[in-house]
Amino acid sequence: MENMANKVARIPNLVDWSTGEVRLMSAKCNSCGTYFFPKEHYQHRPGCSREGVEDILLPCKGKLASYTIQYYPCPAPFKTDKKITPYGIGLVEFEDEKIQVTGIITETDLKSLKIGMQMETTTLEMFTNEEKQQVVTWAFRAVK
Amino acid sequence: MRDVYIIGTGIHPWMGFSEKVFADFAAVAVDGALKDANVEWKKIQAIMAGIFIYGGNAGHLSGQYLESIFGETGIPVVNVYNACATGSASLRMAYNSVAAGETDTALAFGSDVSPKGFLTAKSDNAVQDRDVIRWKMGGLPNPIYWALECRKRMEKYGTTEEDLALVKVLMSEYGAKNPHARFKKTYTLEEVLNSAYVCDPLRLYEICPVSTGAAAVIITADKDLISKADKPVKINATTMGSSMYGDPTIRISALSCPSVPEAPMLSESYSASRQAYEKSGFGPEDIDVLELPDNSSWHYLVYLETCGFCKDGEADKMLRDGQTKIGAKLAVNPSGGFSSHGEALSAQALWQVIECANQLRGRCGDRQVENPKVAMAQTYGLMGNSGTTIMSL
Repeated sequence: MENMANKVARIPNLVDWSTGEVRLMSAKCNSCGTYFFPKEHYQHRPGCSREGVEDILLPCKGKLASYTIQYYPCPAPFKTDKKITPYGIGLVEFEDEKIQVTGIITETDLKSLKIGMQMETTTLEMFTNEEKQQVVTWAFRAVK
Repeated sequence: MRDVYIIGTGIHPWMGFSEKVFADFAAVAVDGALKDANVEWKKIQAIMAGIFIYGGNAGHLSGQYLESIFGETGIPVVNVYNACATGSASLRMAYNSVAAGETDTALAFGSDVSPKGFLTAKSDNAVQDRDVIRWKMGGLPNPIYWALECRKRMEKYGTTEEDLALVKVLMSEYGAKNPHARFKKTYTLEEVLNSAYVCDPLRLYEICPVSTGAAAVIITADKDLISKADKPVKINATTMGSSMYGDPTIRISALSCPSVPEAPMLSESYSASRQAYEKSGFGPEDIDVLELPDNSSWHYLVYLETCGFCKDGEADKMLRDGQTKIGAKLAVNPSGGFSSHGEALSAQALWQVIECANQLRGRCGDRQVENPKVAMAQTYGLMGNSGTTIMSL
């Protein structure tokens, strides 16, 4: 397992690695059954009582529903120490939760990307902060 | 509700970044609309202003700033924002005021100065504004959202890179004939296909940039003003729509979308267009001129389907068969579209309405559609904003 002790997410409450697996932090409405990501992005079914929203971690694996390859750097406030362009962006589907989530694709040959392929959630180091912590975002990579 | 007519329109031609301020451009467009309508400023009984989001306090109160230039008269001035459908919102409010009899003559306008460089986050609170997350952690400039949907479309319907390039070829042909357009160069299929990818499968010439521009529309129910106007254009419906639960589209600034559709794609525009069809009594089969929001080549294709001009997956064939050209039954984006203009956020929906009105009034020169009777302007803005306006002579 990777050493996650010195890592910090650039924005909290989006990605969790406390269980040993990297998983996205979602919320589920137990009234209308809808999953949200980010978890504060409520999108209830009209007429839902909105009662019983609970935090939930998405599975670590999903399938690639769509992707693109970005050839130009993302402007600030996006920031990485190393050049990452061209980078892949995937839309990964978590089937049981009926949700697709965007994320940067890492550690994957971009030429091998294909809709339907299995992906897993990971983290991507963006930069090192003043406290010498590695600041990360969530990302996806092809399942080997 | 009373019949409402467009009697005057004005545009400041679209361009790139400028050191001049939004009010300068707005004044040009409003002056043009007043002259076209042949009405005095004092006849304007309400101003519905699209705001300029990068203009600080002044931009957020764009209507008051505009009113002070022409002379303050104490009339209601309302400032509105609905992302890139802001112009639709301003026109709809002006229409409702006049149609309901609250006022006889009203002005809708929008003016936008392109920010230098890219659009990016406008706040720093990630809980309040998830736009912060997409910029800080997502690495998601706007065209990526379009590319993700475009890839899905290619997989599902067999849309090709040639289809995407053909949209630009066609738009550039029309844009070259439009004095209001920012981009007037024509492109061949090879030139578009040889342009660099921005976000594969979308290339540089297949997405629109941000621009500077201003547009103003004067509408009235005053019979005297209507009788004096040069070919007044009737507004048959002007509607707005928001998204519907279960819309599978990945919306700009969102980080997720439903995987099991329970509503149409681009449901905000599905909703706005269907409301307009119902209110106007016209359907897609009646429309002679359509201005749709071709933010990218993908939009051009999907909007033909979203608005019911063909079934899902058939837009590529319509394009390839020339069914969307000037001279065909339906002329799509005879203006050259956003592809030839770029987005001027609060002005673009009004500019689309003006192109439709100009087509109906026979003012479009080399890009004139032959004798159109009904025209439709369809726009859309991020996070579930859309507007449709159907007009006729």
